[in-house]
Amino acid sequence: MTPEEKYELFEKYCSQELSNDEKSALQKLIDADKAIDKELKLYQDLHTHLNANFTTEKQKKELENNLKEIGDTYFSKKSTKKASKIIKMPVWAYAAAASIAIVFGVYFLNQGSPVYNDYANIPELAIAERGTSAEEIKKAENAFNSKEYAEAEKYLSELISQDVNNTEYQFYYGITLLEQDKYDASTKVFQKIHQGNSIYKYKAIWFEALSHLKRKEYARCSKLLKTLPVDAEDYQIAQELLKKLD
Amino acid sequence: MGNTKVHPDQKYINALLQNDTVILGEIYQKFAPKVIGYIKNNSGDESRAQDIIQETLITIYKQAKEKGLQLTCPFDAYFFLLCKRKWINELKKSTNKEVTINEGIVSIDDESARFAEETELFNAKNELFSEMFDQLGKACKELLKATFTIKSMEEVAQKLGQSYGYVRKKKSLCIGQLTQLVQNAPKFNQLKNLL
Repeated sequence: MTPEEKYELFEKYCSQELSNDEKSALQKLIDADKAIDKELKLYQDLHTHLNANFTTEKQKKELENNLKEIGDTYFSKKSTKKASKIIKMPVWAYAAAASIAIVFGVYFLNQGSPVYNDYANIPELAIAERGTSAEEIKKAENAFNSKEYAEAEKYLSELISQDVNNTEYQFYYGITLLEQDKYDASTKVFQKIHQGNSIYKYKAIWFEALSHLKRKEYARCSKLLKTLPVDAEDYQIAQELLKKLD
Repeated sequence: MGNTKVHPDQKYINALLQNDTVILGEIYQKFAPKVIGYIKNNSGDESRAQDIIQETLITIYKQAKEKGLQLTCPFDAYFFLLCKRKWINELKKSTNKEVTINEGIVSIDDESARFAEETELFNAKNELFSEMFDQLGKACKELLKATFTIKSMEEVAQKLGQSYGYVRKKKSLCIGQLTQLVQNAPKFNQLKNLL
């Protein structure tokens, strides 16, 4: 029997298409030579392997993508937990903070409490000369600088989708959210920036603190302010604000 | 592993097969910390741990898909053992550093160790098969890919512009050639000794 004929028998064996004559021919081969038996087993193994590999390629890819996403979420949450030791309080503390805020609120009513608008020096957005999608950038700039934050949010989120790791876009995007009182979303953005190492690392903390000032959550605000290192750009003004809050 | 009862943790294997996001998330929540701890204690970091976990899960998926893996032991020790060994192999590949082995983290029973070994063997074989497949000629690779993805031979024949008889014959010859390649690979003989 030629190797060609042997492999044709193997193939028919794997796809269960052997006729009775072929079955006995194959059996004879195996009986005569143990090596053929081993070869048939390996052939069958490879047949299964190829079949599984080719038919589940798409499914495997989907699983890989999903695992990547689940893993990313799991691992980034873990590091948020760590990083947020400085910013996050235990749940019970929210109640305490709220009552302290009320006390402060009452206290400051007589004093003139510091307000968000006194401190929020929103920088101009000037990114036009960089990047490629000039049209969108121009629109984002115009909207942002003329304080149309809902518009600016739309354009910036578009720009971020094209350039996910651009912290400058993210930072200004955070401000548009904050200006629209979308606090949960802005906190998320600022936290993410703070975890990175861009020039906006501490700017993000400053604006996150201001977002609590805006909500009159003074305790939380000062807690955040105290985490600013001396070399942060907003350190001085943060100290002034802290004095007023304490 | 015959008639022993399937362990309730089989749900994690099924979650891999069904790409069930909720239960897959649970795998990370429950079983990742131990792996991360181990890898961080042994010259690794979190991002390496994430890769090792993902690769291990994919290996388990492949075995489940191809061989119908049925767990009769807890997932915990089995999974940890696989991740650990994968990491040790990575370390061995990249450095000659002594690897600290910390077995104390999970108690490893024979059953878990046996399952882990079987998965590792499956993975080694799988890698060897893929490596040998790459050594086939272009024509064989294309024909095999076509015959296994498009189930009807007539369609394959039409697509490749060949006769039905030719495609059939060629398929068996290509797998035959692959069989030869694997048989002659030194790695295959090492694996055979483990089988």
